[in-house]
Amino acid sequence: MPISIVVPQLGESVAEGTVSKWLKAQGDKVRKEEPLVEIQTDKINVEIPSPGDGILERILVAEGTTVLVGTEIAVLSGAGEPAAPAPSLAAAPAVASAAAPPSQPARAGAPAVASPALRPAPSTGDGSSGNGELQVGDGRSLSPAVRRIMREQNVSLAELAAIRGSGVAGRVTRDDLLEYLQSRTAAPARASAAAAVAPPAPAAPPPAFLAPRLAPAAAGPREEVVPFSKVRKLIAENMVRAKHTAAHTHCFDETDMSAIVGLKREWGPKLEAQGVRLTYMPFFIKASVLALKEFPWVNGEVRGDTMVVKKFYNIGMAVGRDEKGLIVPNLKDCDRKNLVQIAAEVNDLAARARADRLKPDEIQGGTFSITNAGVYGAINSSPVINVPEVAILGVHKIVERPVIRDGQIVARPMMNASIGFDHRVVDGELAVKFLRRVCELLERPELLWFHA
Amino acid sequence: MILSACHLGPTPYREALALQEGLVSARASGTTGDWLLYPDHSPVLTIGRGGNPESLIADAATLKGRGIELFEVARGGDVTWHGPGQLVGYLIADLSRHGRDLHRFLRDLEQSLIDALAAFGVAGERVAGRTGVWVEGEKIASIGVAVRRWVSYHGFALNVAPDLGFFDLIHPCGLRGIHMTSLARRLEEKAPTLAEARERVAVAVAAAMGYEGLAWKDPAQARRLAEEAAGESGPRAEAHAG
Repeated sequence: MPISIVVPQLGESVAEGTVSKWLKAQGDKVRKEEPLVEIQTDKINVEIPSPGDGILERILVAEGTTVLVGTEIAVLSGAGEPAAPAPSLAAAPAVASAAAPPSQPARAGAPAVASPALRPAPSTGDGSSGNGELQVGDGRSLSPAVRRIMREQNVSLAELAAIRGSGVAGRVTRDDLLEYLQSRTAAPARASAAAAVAPPAPAAPPPAFLAPRLAPAAAGPREEVVPFSKVRKLIAENMVRAKHTAAHTHCFDETDMSAIVGLKREWGPKLEAQGVRLTYMPFFIKASVLALKEFPWVNGEVRGDTMVVKKFYNIGMAVGRDEKGLIVPNLKDCDRKNLVQIAAEVNDLAARARADRLKPDEIQGGTFSITNAGVYGAINSSPVINVPEVAILGVHKIVERPVIRDGQIVARPMMNASIGFDHRVVDGELAVKFLRRVCELLERPELLWFHA
Repeated sequence: MILSACHLGPTPYREALALQEGLVSARASGTTGDWLLYPDHSPVLTIGRGGNPESLIADAATLKGRGIELFEVARGGDVTWHGPGQLVGYLIADLSRHGRDLHRFLRDLEQSLIDALAAFGVAGERVAGRTGVWVEGEKIASIGVAVRRWVSYHGFALNVAPDLGFFDLIHPCGLRGIHMTSLARRLEEKAPTLAEARERVAVAVAAAMGYEGLAWKDPAQARRLAEEAAGESGPRAEAHAG
């Protein structure tokens, strides 16, 4: 009789634990009460003893993986028993592979990828056919580890296509697949059983009042439990730390972007021809650097009971990366670079941020940050400070709005700007003056020329 | 239940580990009660199960040059430093008495240290998600615990008056840009001595963790109990440097 090893209850507030170390290897003999595995939660590491004598038949959860309390992490076979050929995961039905049946249960919330687009369609579900580099129809390639698991667990390409990948370019990673397999064990069994039964002969249509009011529910579970990725954990920690330590306060201003819009319109195509795409960000960076030089206190860091004023200008820019999570790389020494150099660096940093190719020092050592919620359509925001920095500039969508100029109502490309500042060290007066100066420099970029 | 406290005096890290493991066995089999052990360690770095090689700034040669040993241990948490001027406390406690609730145990331990700090006029606090005790954003005490057969070992390290420069060898607890502080730094000449801190913390642990009293014991008694129970479980840590 195989014994299932699960993460035990570790306390009322303990919902999950991380497998920190397997003390036995797959295939090892273990005695009852012998230490089997260590689970860590918070700063406490617990040795889990074996519940019986036997052989550690199969390790289901790798070291470093965080799982919910109650999750099965290993299977122990009874002493002297023949090895169970297909415990646990493998008990899932072998889902027909080649031509994905139309009844293929899609994972709730997953994008509906059309199965005919899949290529190639191996007849065995074996992902290792062909030249080794296997791709799902939408171009997502598969790692050897994923292919191996697909082979072992009889995962068809059609099933794989329905998994939302968390890897680069939506690639399905080993962890994605393992998580999918955990949720698959039950659902497809029922689904395929139902599919096998011939549909009942159509009866007379029911009276209208018996007709279901709701559209049929999508196949699969109604909720999806997605463990935090490492990046998400860090983001969550940083955000909470920022909100806990800095006395967040915000104020808002607006700026007439006519001049910058004009400059971008004129210079955009010229720079494009030289291979540099010009966005608004370089202008925001330039304006911020000059304003920071005039208000040095804003370009600083709180360290214990001291304020450290920085004489260099490493400007961070928030880069959204969909489900991969926000990251804020910074451009070094922006005061010593011209607009074109900054534009080229902005493009390079953003591209590498999205491709997970940033170097560690590019996400450390920032002195001030800018976040552009306008790219997603926001016309205003109150951003969270990238601590230990003391302020962050929010820039937004540029919208044509009626404004008064010389007593006349005219349409102008207007943008709201916001500043989030740490009120422990930055007074409201300073924050308002700084923000006004940034807006002014954007309204009259010639000031950059006179003052920079 | 009475908490037995004991100042071990100068103790090599490896020896302290064996002593703890012996006492864990003794505690689990019910031959003794709960213990609070205070070793005096020479400088040593230990990496817990939350360890990350990047948390170590110094390389093996630097550590060897400075005579600092590196141990990989089964406690929770990342890398930390122990050494002179620091109050290291190992708590051998049956968690069944604490509802077998790991997080509650950590919070109770934090509370003990916060109470002890308060007695010296220092306002220690918790930071959500960052186990340990903090004073105005700087870390003054670290916590890292291991549990075997529902008995805890390892424990806490309170910076009384250590050379904080040692923490530059590591990213303490894997946290970047973290600043460590100490009672000496906070209170200057009014800071308690190690002996005063040892006394005060033991009282606070006994109170915050629901013991009926505190009794100071001879280290020889702890060593004898550990040796008797040792048997099959030898030390599990391996030295990596030095």
